[in-house]
Amino acid sequence: MKNIMNSVFLSCVKATGLMEKKIHFGLTSAEEMQLKLHIMMCNACARYEKQSLILERSIAKLCEPDNISVDFEKLKQTINLKLETAGNNTQIGKD
Amino acid sequence: MRKKQTMSSPLPVDWVSLYIEDLHKWARHKTSSSEVASDLVQDTFLAAAEKFCSFKGESSPKTWLFSILNHKITDYYRKKIKQPVSIDNDSLYGFFDKSTERWNKEMRPGNWNETDGHLLDNDEFQSILKLCMDALPEKWSTCVKLKYLTEKKGEEICQDLEISPTNFWQIIHRAKLQLRDCIENGWFKHT
Repeated sequence: MKNIMNSVFLSCVKATGLMEKKIHFGLTSAEEMQLKLHIMMCNACARYEKQSLILERSIAKLCEPDNISVDFEKLKQTINLKLETAGNNTQIGKD
Repeated sequence: MRKKQTMSSPLPVDWVSLYIEDLHKWARHKTSSSEVASDLVQDTFLAAAEKFCSFKGESSPKTWLFSILNHKITDYYRKKIKQPVSIDNDSLYGFFDKSTERWNKEMRPGNWNETDGHLLDNDEFQSILKLCMDALPEKWSTCVKLKYLTEKKGEEICQDLEISPTNFWQIIHRAKLQLRDCIENGWFKHT
């Protein structure tokens, strides 16, 4: 009996875990149903799911590129210098 | 002392000037950091010079350089993901009761009074999120962000970074629990 209960009713640990699986990989239809059922019965997890989705959107925003301006002239110089040095090293002993 | 002979790099001299900005823009888009992008672009040109003899001109120089850069970006994340950070169950049982696996009473999510996405436009909320992200182990915060940085599906991210899907979402599960809690304490209980 306990096994049947466990296969239908998720714990809060499993439910919150499946929420992440859902976002990144998707759920099987059985998992989808279990999660729905759990959220219907558990206020804490229902609230967690909403907040988790807010977090996802905020994280997406956090991942937008920064606006720090780049000194491309300086970067070019650094790279060219390194390329030159690297070129020299491979030519050692040729002169 | 003999004067050091200057050898030009085997890369065509104008490639750096021609492609640096496009490469940098892409790297910044994929890492959200100008500084990291600069490092990756530099590594890209050095790698390109090293294997220039294998460039057969079958693709355009730009395509070739971008493919090197994309490998550099994947390597950059792979290194972050390879850090050994355990995801033992102790990190769960601060939040949940060990035997029932239900929320510990004092750790249950509080009411955020969220309406119409106003939190998303709030700069202060966003900066607390950033602080809380920085407080996570780097491997965890990287996993949480990878979906948005790489713009790839979970399966593809895991394949690129050689991590199992289950491991990946379990890390994110723990990271999210901590992140949510950190934000609730930093934002809702002190404003």
